[in-house]
Amino acid sequence: MFTGASKYFLGLTAAAVAGFVLYLLFVTPNDLGAIALGAVMVVAGTLAGITLFNRDAEAETVQDATGAAAQPLPNSVWPIVCALGVALMAVGLASVAMVFLIGLGVLVIGSLEWLIQDWAEGASADNKFNTFIRERAISPLELPLFAAVGGGIIAFSFSRIMLAMGKSAGAILFIIIASAVLLVGFLVAFKPNFRGKIVTVLSTVAGVALIAGGVGSALSGERAELAEASREGHYMHKECGEEKSKYFDKVANNRVPLRSAVAATIILENGQLRAEIIGFTEPQKSVTIPKSNDADILFRNKDEADRRLVLNLGTETVGDTGVEEKLYTCTQLTGKNQENVLVVKIDKQSSVGGPYTFTVPGVDDAIEVVVP
Amino acid sequence: MKIVKVMSPRRLAALAGVFGTAFLAGCAKNAPQDVWQPKGPNSEKINNLDLVVFPIAGVVGVIVISLIVFILFKFRDRGQPIPKQSHGKPVLEVTLTIIPALILSVVGVFTVRTIFELAEDKDTELIINVTGQQWWWEYDYPIQNEYGITQPIITSGQMVMPAGTKVMLRETSRDVIHSFWVPSLNGKKDAVPGRIHLLRMEADEPGIYAGQCAEFCGLSHANMRMEVIALSKEDFAAWVQNQLADYNAPAKESLAGQGEEVFLNQCVRCHQVNGLKRADGTPAIAAPEDNVYTGAAPNLSKFMTRNTFAGAMFDLVNSKCRKDVWGASAQEFGAKYLAGVTEECLNTSDLRAWLRNAPAVKPMYANPEKLGPTDGKYRGMPNLNLTEDDIDKLVAYLLTLR
Repeated sequence: MFTGASKYFLGLTAAAVAGFVLYLLFVTPNDLGAIALGAVMVVAGTLAGITLFNRDAEAETVQDATGAAAQPLPNSVWPIVCALGVALMAVGLASVAMVFLIGLGVLVIGSLEWLIQDWAEGASADNKFNTFIRERAISPLELPLFAAVGGGIIAFSFSRIMLAMGKSAGAILFIIIASAVLLVGFLVAFKPNFRGKIVTVLSTVAGVALIAGGVGSALSGERAELAEASREGHYMHKECGEEKSKYFDKVANNRVPLRSAVAATIILENGQLRAEIIGFTEPQKSVTIPKSNDADILFRNKDEADRRLVLNLGTETVGDTGVEEKLYTCTQLTGKNQENVLVVKIDKQSSVGGPYTFTVPGVDDAIEVVVP
Repeated sequence: MKIVKVMSPRRLAALAGVFGTAFLAGCAKNAPQDVWQPKGPNSEKINNLDLVVFPIAGVVGVIVISLIVFILFKFRDRGQPIPKQSHGKPVLEVTLTIIPALILSVVGVFTVRTIFELAEDKDTELIINVTGQQWWWEYDYPIQNEYGITQPIITSGQMVMPAGTKVMLRETSRDVIHSFWVPSLNGKKDAVPGRIHLLRMEADEPGIYAGQCAEFCGLSHANMRMEVIALSKEDFAAWVQNQLADYNAPAKESLAGQGEEVFLNQCVRCHQVNGLKRADGTPAIAAPEDNVYTGAAPNLSKFMTRNTFAGAMFDLVNSKCRKDVWGASAQEFGAKYLAGVTEECLNTSDLRAWLRNAPAVKPMYANPEKLGPTDGKYRGMPNLNLTEDDIDKLVAYLLTLR
């Protein structure tokens, strides 16, 4: 199937691609080296394609293929896919760049599939054999790629639907879909008659409905509450008071990760704050954080009420107004016996920008932050 | 004789030369980074483990290599027919599984015990925060009143600690992964951005202990060195007191005073000197976060109390004075180190070369035309294009930072 020269050029192409990517990642881009490796990649790839397509012009191999054209060729869907790609690119040029890129992707995939199919159809006079070698050549790439694209389309469509629907309606829809999937799974497992065409039809209808729903939802946009919050940057603005923040406390928090090797664990218990610092055997009332360095602070709330940890970073003058604005950052509200992580980076020494402190709104205690 | 037939005498001589050199390198007396010369209880524990593991590994290695060499020569292709092929020898396979398992179990017991002993942190007496960045180490001492550290101390190049004291390093990094390794005091420990890793240090006696970043960290990894200075408890207290002492401004009209002006105009953009003030009396605050990719540059307060600079790549003292300090007995060492760098001892040539054009003497990403990937910020000290006159003034000023 793959003749000697085509294997050589394919290997050379792969090496050039790897070299090109590594060069761009680790060595200065826009360099002669990148141009040279890119040129090798293109030339080797072209030669690989030519040698692969004409089977190195080896008389015996070509002879095997004679008569192939005498048989009626199977239908091919790839010219239509390529046409779709071109159409999407044209639409993308006039509308959104993403549509152009999707069209380009479709065109590249369609062209590759078309080439491989054409190459396989000329392999021998036996269509079955030709189909076999086509699958052998392309299936290891085709299956994972199509699975990934399909999975991506489903996930994207589903996410658009969930973002467009109200929270309660979304939860109900989720329960219905999950129940339906479970039901179909049971039927497929225990009712042999249910398999085959019925499953295919059901899957197709569900898939089309999902994509249509996704497209429709994407066009209608996110639900009003999300659109407003996104427009006004509610989720970026940290409200660090004692009360529950309308938006900030709804953002997914950092309760799970970053629990090991933290710079300090600040614990609220019985109305008192204490810092447990790796290396110190006794609880501390001050934490030293290196300047200009990310430090992970774990906040553990042992209080009955929901609390948040606030890092007070002094004040800053707003422009030329002379108005002093308080600088701070905080965790989200943290329930009893729960933890939250605050990643802090302070660019000024505490002797200059400070004093810096960790506090908890509603609690009359503080931990000093020292930045040497 | 057979080996000589297979390998030419010239190749044999070259091979013998390579192995002989490697073997003789183990006999070096002046090898400050020799893992076989422990100078503290932690490195002693590692050494004790090595004394068990290395002979076992050595015997296994010799047996395996000998068998491989024997088989290579004995059964090499001489045109003989292929022997009868067989599959599976249960007794041999079980034996060759059990023997390594037993060996690894013995090694594992000693290794795990040592790991737990080295991880002990309950009896820590002093804590030092160690932060790595391309390509130098920063040491900051959190407030610890029992040692007289009433304000944070920050230094670089040389980490000073009391001898006979269980010191805990809290390591992290500002950019990439580095690894802190002073072989004569303990094993290596990675400094990872966003994480705090602990490493115990303890030196039996006062002295200098050399180390080297042990995780490849970019262009000047090989030049990212460190030295640990162990002082007696009294000398350490004196060192702390001096580090916290007020800044002494040189007289304005002196050469050092003019150097202070150059420092304020050029160096203070990145380097902090605690207590330094501008002409209008306001504190001169460095802003490395605006100029350096990691957001930090070495704090040069009490610069001349150190013996090294530029990530411990260069000595701040000349070779004669360095020999004097390195060769001092444990009793004399503290006094000699605390004397700092005097004008007679200053390694003027390396310091001037550094001030003249730092990237020319230590590879760094400091070309102002190639700072695109770092948002216009330097990784290392750039060439400041100082005049020789400026350099004279700066050297005079730096000599006052003691």
